[in-house]
Amino acid sequence: MINSVLRFLLIFILLVLLQVLLFDNIQFSGYINPYVYIMFILLLPVEIPAWLLLLLSFILGLTIDLFSGSPGMHSSATILAGFVRPYVLRVISPRDGYEAGSDPSMMTYGFRWFVTYAIIIVLVHHTALFYLEVFRFAGFFRTLFRVLLSSVFSVSFILLLEYYRKGK
Amino acid sequence: MRSLLNFLVKYNNLIIFLILEGVSIFLLATGNNYQNTHFVLGVRRITSGIDKKISNARCYLDLREVNRTLAAENIALKKRISQISKEESSLFFSVNDSVYKQQYQHTSAEVIQNSINRQKNFFTIDKGKRQGIKPDMAVISNDGVAGVIVGSSDNFSVAMSLLNLDFKLSARLKTNDYFGSLTWDGKNPHQAVLNDIPLHVSVNIGDTIETTGYSAIFPEGIMIGTVSNFKKTGGDFYKITVSLLTDFRKLRFVDIIANMKKTEQLELQNQYQ
Repeated sequence: MINSVLRFLLIFILLVLLQVLLFDNIQFSGYINPYVYIMFILLLPVEIPAWLLLLLSFILGLTIDLFSGSPGMHSSATILAGFVRPYVLRVISPRDGYEAGSDPSMMTYGFRWFVTYAIIIVLVHHTALFYLEVFRFAGFFRTLFRVLLSSVFSVSFILLLEYYRKGK
Repeated sequence: MRSLLNFLVKYNNLIIFLILEGVSIFLLATGNNYQNTHFVLGVRRITSGIDKKISNARCYLDLREVNRTLAAENIALKKRISQISKEESSLFFSVNDSVYKQQYQHTSAEVIQNSINRQKNFFTIDKGKRQGIKPDMAVISNDGVAGVIVGSSDNFSVAMSLLNLDFKLSARLKTNDYFGSLTWDGKNPHQAVLNDIPLHVSVNIGDTIETTGYSAIFPEGIMIGTVSNFKKTGGDFYKITVSLLTDFRKLRFVDIIANMKKTEQLELQNQYQ
Protein backbone atom coordinates (compact mmCIF):
# COMPACT_ATOMS: atom_id res chain seq x y z
CA MET A 1 0.00 0.00 0.00
CA ILE A 2 2.64 2.51 1.14
CA ASN A 3 4.79 1.25 -1.65
CA SER A 4 2.23 2.01 -4.32
CA VAL A 5 1.50 5.45 -2.84
CA LEU A 6 5.20 6.24 -3.08
CA ARG A 7 5.31 4.92 -6.63
CA PHE A 8 2.45 7.14 -7.76
CA LEU A 9 3.92 10.12 -5.94
CA LEU A 10 7.12 9.58 -7.93
CA ILE A 11 5.18 9.25 -11.20
CA PHE A 12 3.29 12.43 -10.32
CA ILE A 13 6.47 14.42 -9.69
CA LEU A 14 8.22 13.03 -12.77
CA LEU A 15 5.30 13.80 -15.08
CA VAL A 16 4.86 17.33 -13.70
CA LEU A 17 8.58 18.05 -14.09
CA LEU A 18 8.59 16.56 -17.59
CA GLN A 19 5.62 18.71 -18.54
CA VAL A 20 6.85 21.96 -17.03
CA LEU A 21 10.53 21.73 -17.89
CA LEU A 22 10.38 19.91 -21.21
CA PHE A 23 7.02 19.84 -22.98
CA ASP A 24 5.96 23.38 -22.09
CA ASN A 25 9.20 24.59 -23.64
CA ILE A 26 8.79 22.72 -26.91
CA GLN A 27 7.57 25.32 -29.33
CA PHE A 28 6.86 23.56 -32.60
CA SER A 29 4.17 26.01 -33.60
CA GLY A 30 0.98 27.36 -32.13
CA TYR A 31 -0.80 24.20 -33.19
CA ILE A 32 1.11 21.57 -31.28
CA ASN A 33 1.16 21.67 -27.48
CA PRO A 34 1.51 18.18 -26.05
CA TYR A 35 0.15 17.80 -22.52
CA VAL A 36 1.64 14.58 -21.28
CA TYR A 37 0.95 15.03 -17.55
CA ILE A 38 -2.55 13.62 -18.10
CA MET A 39 -0.84 10.20 -18.23
CA PHE A 40 -0.95 10.21 -14.41
CA ILE A 41 -4.74 9.94 -14.56
CA LEU A 42 -4.41 7.05 -17.02
CA LEU A 43 -2.08 5.05 -14.80
CA LEU A 44 -3.96 5.14 -11.49
CA PRO A 45 -5.26 1.73 -10.35
CA VAL A 46 -8.51 0.48 -11.83
CA GLU A 47 -10.22 0.17 -8.47
CA ILE A 48 -9.33 3.59 -7.13
CA PRO A 49 -12.38 5.22 -5.46
CA ALA A 50 -13.94 7.83 -7.69
CA TRP A 51 -13.69 10.61 -5.11
CA LEU A 52 -9.94 10.04 -4.72
CA LEU A 53 -9.52 10.03 -8.47
CA LEU A 54 -11.32 13.37 -8.71
CA LEU A 55 -9.28 14.86 -5.87
CA LEU A 56 -6.01 13.71 -7.43
CA SER A 57 -7.09 15.12 -10.79
CA PHE A 58 -7.78 18.44 -9.12
CA ILE A 59 -4.37 18.48 -7.41
CA LEU A 60 -2.60 17.50 -10.62
CA GLY A 61 -4.39 20.18 -12.64
CA LEU A 62 -3.75 22.81 -10.02
CA THR A 63 -0.05 21.96 -9.89
CA ILE A 64 0.28 22.41 -13.64
CA ASP A 65 -1.75 25.63 -13.38
CA LEU A 66 0.67 26.96 -10.79
CA PHE A 67 3.59 26.51 -13.10
CA SER A 68 1.94 27.83 -16.21
CA GLY A 69 0.20 30.76 -14.48
CA SER A 70 -3.32 29.89 -15.57
CA PRO A 71 -5.46 29.18 -12.48
CA GLY A 72 -8.39 26.91 -13.20
CA MET A 73 -7.64 26.08 -16.82
CA HIS A 74 -5.74 22.83 -16.48
CA SER A 75 -7.61 21.81 -13.33
CA SER A 76 -11.05 22.03 -14.95
CA ALA A 77 -9.91 19.95 -17.91
CA THR A 78 -8.12 17.39 -15.73
CA ILE A 79 -11.11 16.99 -13.37
CA LEU A 80 -13.31 16.33 -16.38
CA ALA A 81 -10.86 13.65 -17.54
CA GLY A 82 -10.85 12.14 -14.03
CA PHE A 83 -14.64 12.18 -13.99
CA VAL A 84 -15.08 10.34 -17.28
CA ARG A 85 -12.34 7.79 -16.63
CA PRO A 86 -14.53 5.24 -14.74
CA TYR A 87 -17.13 5.36 -17.53
CA VAL A 88 -14.47 4.96 -20.21
CA LEU A 89 -13.01 1.98 -18.33
CA ARG A 90 -16.46 0.42 -18.15
CA VAL A 91 -17.16 0.92 -21.86
CA ILE A 92 -13.86 -0.47 -23.13
CA SER A 93 -13.50 -3.22 -20.50
CA PRO A 94 -11.79 -6.37 -21.77
CA ARG A 95 -13.85 -9.52 -22.29
CA ASP A 96 -12.92 -11.07 -18.94
CA GLY A 97 -13.26 -7.82 -17.01
CA TYR A 98 -10.45 -6.24 -15.04
CA GLU A 99 -8.23 -8.26 -12.75
CA ALA A 100 -8.55 -7.35 -9.10
CA GLY A 101 -5.95 -4.82 -7.96
CA SER A 102 -4.44 -4.25 -11.39
CA ASP A 103 -3.17 -1.08 -13.04
CA PRO A 104 -4.56 -0.09 -16.41
CA SER A 105 -1.23 -0.54 -18.17
CA MET A 106 -0.17 -1.68 -21.60
CA MET A 107 1.57 -4.66 -20.07
CA THR A 108 -1.60 -6.07 -18.50
CA TYR A 109 -4.22 -5.35 -21.14
CA GLY A 110 -2.31 -5.06 -24.37
CA PHE A 111 -1.36 -2.39 -26.87
CA ARG A 112 -4.70 -1.95 -28.60
CA TRP A 113 -6.65 -1.59 -25.41
CA PHE A 114 -4.21 0.96 -24.01
CA VAL A 115 -4.19 3.04 -27.17
CA THR A 116 -8.00 3.26 -27.23
CA TYR A 117 -8.02 4.15 -23.55
CA ALA A 118 -5.33 6.83 -23.93
CA ILE A 119 -6.91 8.37 -27.04
CA ILE A 120 -10.34 8.76 -25.41
CA ILE A 121 -9.07 10.33 -22.18
CA VAL A 122 -6.56 12.60 -23.97
CA LEU A 123 -9.23 13.78 -26.40
CA VAL A 124 -11.64 14.63 -23.58
CA HIS A 125 -8.91 16.48 -21.70
CA HIS A 126 -7.50 18.36 -24.68
CA THR A 127 -10.91 19.37 -26.00
CA ALA A 128 -11.88 20.88 -22.65
CA LEU A 129 -8.45 22.49 -22.24
CA PHE A 130 -8.12 24.15 -25.63
CA TYR A 131 -11.66 25.50 -25.70
CA LEU A 132 -11.25 26.85 -22.17
CA GLU A 133 -7.98 28.44 -23.22
CA VAL A 134 -9.44 30.50 -26.07
CA PHE A 135 -12.75 30.87 -24.16
CA ARG A 136 -14.71 31.62 -27.31
CA PHE A 137 -16.24 29.71 -30.16
CA ALA A 138 -14.90 32.02 -32.84
CA GLY A 139 -12.39 30.00 -34.83
CA PHE A 140 -14.11 26.78 -33.74
CA PHE A 141 -12.47 24.61 -36.39
CA ARG A 142 -9.03 26.01 -35.85
CA THR A 143 -9.25 25.13 -32.17
CA LEU A 144 -10.55 21.70 -33.14
CA PHE A 145 -7.56 21.26 -35.42
CA ARG A 146 -5.24 22.21 -32.55
CA VAL A 147 -7.01 19.72 -30.29
CA LEU A 148 -6.58 16.88 -32.79
CA LEU A 149 -2.99 17.65 -33.68
CA SER A 150 -1.90 18.10 -30.07
CA SER A 151 -3.73 14.93 -29.08
CA VAL A 152 -1.79 12.95 -31.67
CA PHE A 153 1.46 14.18 -30.16
CA SER A 154 0.35 13.71 -26.54
CA VAL A 155 -0.79 10.15 -27.21
CA SER A 156 2.47 9.36 -29.02
CA PHE A 157 4.55 10.64 -26.12
CA ILE A 158 2.38 8.76 -23.63
CA LEU A 159 2.86 5.54 -25.62
CA LEU A 160 6.61 6.11 -25.70
CA LEU A 161 6.70 6.61 -21.95
CA GLU A 162 4.51 3.56 -21.44
CA TYR A 163 6.83 1.46 -23.62
CA TYR A 164 9.75 2.69 -21.57
CA ARG A 165 7.94 1.74 -18.36
CA LYS A 166 7.12 -1.67 -19.81
CA GLY A 167 10.71 -2.23 -20.78
CA LYS A 168 11.89 -1.77 -17.25
CA MET B 1 -33.87 13.28 5.57
CA ARG B 2 -33.15 9.70 4.72
CA SER B 3 -33.94 10.22 1.09
CA LEU B 4 -31.64 13.21 1.04
CA LEU B 5 -28.83 11.07 2.50
CA ASN B 6 -29.59 8.35 -0.02
CA PHE B 7 -29.41 10.89 -2.75
CA LEU B 8 -26.05 12.20 -1.49
CA VAL B 9 -24.62 8.69 -1.26
CA LYS B 10 -25.87 7.72 -4.67
CA TYR B 11 -24.55 10.78 -6.45
CA ASN B 12 -21.59 11.60 -4.22
CA ASN B 13 -19.11 11.38 -7.10
CA LEU B 14 -21.14 13.65 -9.29
CA ILE B 15 -21.39 16.10 -6.41
CA ILE B 16 -17.65 16.05 -5.73
CA PHE B 17 -17.06 16.50 -9.45
CA LEU B 18 -19.41 19.47 -9.62
CA ILE B 19 -17.86 21.10 -6.55
CA LEU B 20 -14.27 20.73 -7.76
CA GLU B 21 -15.19 21.78 -11.29
CA GLY B 22 -17.04 24.73 -9.79
CA VAL B 23 -13.93 25.79 -7.89
CA SER B 24 -11.83 25.53 -11.06
CA ILE B 25 -14.27 27.46 -13.20
CA PHE B 26 -14.47 30.08 -10.47
CA LEU B 27 -10.68 30.41 -10.50
CA LEU B 28 -10.74 30.57 -14.27
CA ALA B 29 -13.51 33.16 -14.45
CA THR B 30 -12.27 35.47 -11.72
CA GLY B 31 -8.75 35.10 -13.01
CA ASN B 32 -9.49 36.73 -16.35
CA ASN B 33 -7.21 39.50 -15.34
CA TYR B 34 -5.29 36.82 -13.63
CA GLN B 35 -1.71 37.89 -13.90
CA ASN B 36 -2.48 40.51 -11.26
CA THR B 37 -3.75 38.11 -8.65
CA HIS B 38 -1.72 37.39 -5.56
CA PHE B 39 -2.14 33.73 -6.34
CA VAL B 40 -0.11 33.93 -9.51
CA LEU B 41 2.40 36.47 -8.32
CA GLY B 42 3.07 34.38 -5.22
CA VAL B 43 3.74 31.35 -7.35
CA ARG B 44 5.86 33.32 -9.79
CA ARG B 45 8.09 34.12 -6.87
CA ILE B 46 8.74 30.40 -6.43
CA THR B 47 9.07 29.46 -10.08
CA SER B 48 10.95 32.56 -11.16
CA GLY B 49 13.93 31.34 -9.14
CA ILE B 50 14.09 28.26 -11.35
CA ASP B 51 13.38 30.26 -14.50
CA LYS B 52 16.18 32.64 -13.63
CA LYS B 53 18.65 29.77 -13.31
CA ILE B 54 17.66 28.31 -16.67
CA SER B 55 17.85 31.72 -18.27
CA ASN B 56 21.30 32.33 -16.76
CA ALA B 57 22.59 29.11 -18.23
CA ARG B 58 21.18 29.94 -21.64
CA CYS B 59 22.66 33.42 -21.56
CA TYR B 60 26.18 32.26 -22.36
CA LEU B 61 25.11 30.54 -25.53
CA ASP B 62 23.74 33.74 -27.00
CA LEU B 63 26.60 36.07 -26.10
CA ARG B 64 27.88 36.49 -29.63
CA GLU B 65 24.46 37.40 -30.95
CA VAL B 66 23.81 39.76 -28.04
CA ASN B 67 27.14 41.54 -28.58
CA ARG B 68 26.37 42.01 -32.24
CA THR B 69 22.98 43.63 -31.59
CA LEU B 70 24.42 45.83 -28.85
CA ALA B 71 27.17 47.06 -31.16
CA ALA B 72 24.65 47.80 -33.88
CA GLU B 73 22.46 49.68 -31.44
CA ASN B 74 25.45 51.65 -30.17
CA ILE B 75 26.33 52.78 -33.65
CA ALA B 76 22.76 53.83 -34.36
CA LEU B 77 22.67 55.84 -31.15
CA LYS B 78 26.03 57.47 -31.87
CA LYS B 79 24.77 58.53 -35.26
CA ARG B 80 21.72 60.09 -33.69
CA ILE B 81 23.79 61.94 -31.12
CA SER B 82 25.97 63.47 -33.78
CA GLN B 83 22.89 64.48 -35.76
CA ILE B 84 21.21 66.03 -32.76
CA SER B 85 24.30 67.92 -31.60
CA LYS B 86 24.78 69.26 -35.12
CA GLU B 87 21.25 70.59 -35.25
CA GLU B 88 21.49 72.18 -31.86
CA SER B 89 24.80 73.86 -32.49
CA SER B 90 23.33 75.62 -35.50
CA LEU B 91 20.78 77.24 -33.21
CA PHE B 92 21.73 80.00 -30.83
CA PHE B 93 21.92 77.94 -27.67
CA SER B 94 20.21 74.97 -26.08
CA VAL B 95 18.39 74.85 -22.76
CA ASN B 96 18.92 71.61 -20.93
CA ASP B 97 15.68 71.41 -19.05
CA SER B 98 15.45 67.66 -18.77
CA VAL B 99 12.48 67.55 -16.40
CA TYR B 100 10.32 69.54 -18.74
CA LYS B 101 11.33 67.70 -21.85
CA GLN B 102 11.49 64.15 -20.71
CA GLN B 103 8.27 62.25 -21.13
CA TYR B 104 9.43 58.68 -21.27
CA GLN B 105 11.72 56.81 -18.97
CA HIS B 106 13.50 53.65 -20.11
CA THR B 107 14.51 50.70 -17.97
CA SER B 108 16.24 47.68 -19.40
CA ALA B 109 15.30 44.19 -18.27
CA GLU B 110 15.84 40.58 -19.14
CA VAL B 111 13.13 38.13 -20.11
CA ILE B 112 13.40 35.08 -17.88
CA GLN B 113 10.35 33.15 -18.96
CA ASN B 114 8.43 33.33 -22.20
CA SER B 115 5.95 31.37 -24.25
CA ILE B 116 4.71 31.70 -27.81
CA ASN B 117 2.71 28.54 -28.30
CA ARG B 118 -0.40 29.36 -26.32
CA GLN B 119 -3.31 31.52 -27.37
CA LYS B 120 -2.72 33.88 -24.47
CA ASN B 121 0.99 34.30 -24.06
CA PHE B 122 2.73 36.11 -21.25
CA PHE B 123 6.37 36.61 -20.37
CA THR B 124 8.17 37.35 -17.12
CA ILE B 125 10.95 39.91 -16.71
CA ASP B 126 13.47 40.30 -13.92
CA LYS B 127 12.51 43.79 -12.74
CA GLY B 128 9.62 44.66 -10.45
CA LYS B 129 8.14 47.24 -8.13
CA ARG B 130 11.45 47.95 -6.45
CA GLN B 131 12.91 48.96 -9.80
CA GLY B 132 9.89 51.13 -10.51
CA ILE B 133 8.01 48.82 -12.84
CA LYS B 134 4.24 49.15 -12.66
CA PRO B 135 1.32 47.73 -14.65
CA ASP B 136 0.48 49.43 -17.96
CA MET B 137 4.04 50.21 -18.91
CA ALA B 138 5.15 49.44 -22.44
CA VAL B 139 7.67 46.71 -23.23
CA ILE B 140 9.70 46.90 -26.43
CA SER B 141 12.54 44.82 -27.80
CA ASN B 142 15.41 46.11 -29.89
CA ASP B 143 13.31 45.65 -32.99
CA GLY B 144 9.84 46.73 -31.95
CA VAL B 145 6.82 46.32 -29.75
CA ALA B 146 6.83 43.31 -27.42
CA GLY B 147 4.04 43.72 -24.86
CA VAL B 148 2.55 45.51 -21.87
CA ILE B 149 3.24 44.98 -18.16
CA VAL B 150 0.17 43.55 -16.43
CA GLY B 151 1.41 42.79 -12.95
CA SER B 152 4.51 43.13 -10.83
CA SER B 153 5.81 41.73 -7.58
CA ASP B 154 8.83 43.14 -5.72
CA ASN B 155 11.48 41.94 -8.15
CA PHE B 156 9.60 40.44 -11.09
CA SER B 157 6.93 41.53 -13.50
CA VAL B 158 4.62 39.71 -15.86
CA ALA B 159 3.90 41.22 -19.24
CA MET B 160 1.15 40.38 -21.68
CA SER B 161 2.88 39.51 -24.92
CA LEU B 162 1.73 40.95 -28.23
CA LEU B 163 1.02 37.29 -28.99
CA ASN B 164 -2.11 37.28 -26.83
CA LEU B 165 -5.69 37.25 -28.03
CA ASP B 166 -6.52 39.98 -25.51
CA PHE B 167 -3.76 42.32 -26.68
CA LYS B 168 -4.90 45.44 -28.52
CA LEU B 169 -2.73 48.22 -29.81
CA SER B 170 -3.39 51.39 -31.71
CA ALA B 171 -1.14 51.34 -34.79
CA ARG B 172 -0.72 53.36 -37.96
CA LEU B 173 0.80 53.25 -41.41
CA LYS B 174 3.97 55.28 -41.34
CA THR B 175 3.55 56.56 -44.90
CA ASN B 176 0.17 58.27 -44.47
CA ASP B 177 -0.63 58.20 -40.75
CA TYR B 178 -3.93 56.33 -41.09
CA PHE B 179 -4.45 54.38 -37.89
CA GLY B 180 -6.29 51.23 -36.91
CA SER B 181 -6.21 48.60 -34.21
CA LEU B 182 -3.64 45.84 -34.16
CA THR B 183 -4.43 42.44 -32.69
CA TRP B 184 -3.01 38.95 -32.83
CA ASP B 185 -5.20 36.27 -34.36
CA GLY B 186 -3.55 33.36 -32.61
CA LYS B 187 -2.27 31.71 -35.77
CA ASN B 188 1.32 32.63 -36.40
CA PRO B 189 3.84 34.02 -33.90
CA HIS B 190 5.40 36.11 -36.68
CA GLN B 191 2.22 37.84 -37.82
CA ALA B 192 -0.47 40.13 -36.45
CA VAL B 193 -3.52 41.73 -38.01
CA LEU B 194 -4.24 45.44 -38.47
CA ASN B 195 -7.92 46.32 -38.88
CA ASP B 196 -9.96 49.49 -39.47
CA ILE B 197 -7.86 50.97 -42.27
CA PRO B 198 -10.38 52.41 -44.77
CA LEU B 199 -10.36 51.22 -48.39
CA HIS B 200 -9.44 54.55 -49.97
CA VAL B 201 -6.07 54.54 -48.26
CA SER B 202 -3.23 53.32 -50.43
CA VAL B 203 -1.50 50.36 -48.82
CA ASN B 204 1.55 48.65 -50.23
CA ILE B 205 3.30 45.47 -49.27
CA GLY B 206 6.36 46.38 -47.24
CA ASP B 207 4.89 49.54 -45.70
CA THR B 208 6.00 50.18 -42.15
CA ILE B 209 3.53 49.91 -39.28
CA GLU B 210 4.31 51.85 -36.12
CA THR B 211 2.58 52.81 -32.89
CA THR B 212 0.48 55.88 -32.38
CA GLY B 213 0.78 57.65 -29.05
CA TYR B 214 -2.96 57.51 -28.44
CA SER B 215 -3.11 54.95 -25.68
CA ALA B 216 -0.60 56.79 -23.45
CA ILE B 217 1.20 53.47 -22.99
CA PHE B 218 3.45 53.27 -26.02
CA PRO B 219 5.38 56.31 -27.22
CA GLU B 220 4.66 57.45 -30.74
CA GLY B 221 6.56 55.92 -33.63
CA ILE B 222 7.80 52.62 -32.23
CA MET B 223 8.16 50.09 -35.02
CA ILE B 224 5.79 47.13 -35.03
CA GLY B 225 6.32 45.47 -38.38
CA THR B 226 5.75 45.66 -42.10
CA VAL B 227 2.73 44.94 -44.29
CA SER B 228 3.06 41.44 -45.68
CA ASN B 229 -0.41 41.06 -47.15
CA PHE B 230 -3.73 42.90 -47.30
CA LYS B 231 -7.25 42.18 -48.47
CA LYS B 232 -10.71 43.72 -48.33
CA THR B 233 -13.08 42.54 -45.65
CA GLY B 234 -16.88 42.65 -45.82
CA GLY B 235 -17.07 46.24 -44.65
CA ASP B 236 -15.22 49.21 -46.01
CA PHE B 237 -11.96 48.28 -44.39
CA TYR B 238 -8.77 46.46 -45.18
CA LYS B 239 -7.59 43.52 -43.18
CA ILE B 240 -3.84 43.96 -43.18
CA THR B 241 -1.50 41.15 -42.22
CA VAL B 242 1.55 42.57 -40.51
CA SER B 243 4.77 40.61 -40.24
CA LEU B 244 6.21 41.46 -36.84
CA LEU B 245 9.73 42.77 -36.43
CA THR B 246 10.17 41.35 -32.95
CA ASP B 247 11.15 37.71 -32.96
CA PHE B 248 9.31 36.42 -29.91
CA ARG B 249 11.16 33.12 -29.98
CA LYS B 250 14.35 34.99 -29.22
CA LEU B 251 13.00 37.66 -26.91
CA ARG B 252 15.78 38.22 -24.37
CA PHE B 253 16.61 41.85 -23.54
CA VAL B 254 13.78 44.36 -23.46
CA ASP B 255 13.20 48.00 -22.62
CA ILE B 256 10.39 49.00 -20.32
CA ILE B 257 9.03 52.43 -21.07
CA ALA B 258 7.22 54.48 -18.46
CA ASN B 259 5.18 57.42 -19.63
CA MET B 260 5.70 60.07 -16.98
CA LYS B 261 2.91 62.24 -18.27
CA LYS B 262 0.39 59.44 -18.56
CA THR B 263 -1.81 60.42 -15.62
CA GLU B 264 -1.94 63.97 -16.81
CA GLN B 265 -3.02 62.90 -20.29
CA LEU B 266 -5.61 60.39 -19.07
CA GLU B 267 -7.10 62.78 -16.52
CA LEU B 268 -7.58 65.41 -19.14
CA GLN B 269 -9.12 62.92 -21.54
CA ASN B 270 -11.50 61.58 -18.91
CA GLN B 271 -12.59 65.09 -18.08
CA TYR B 272 -13.91 65.69 -21.58
CA GLN B 273 -15.12 62.26 -22.62
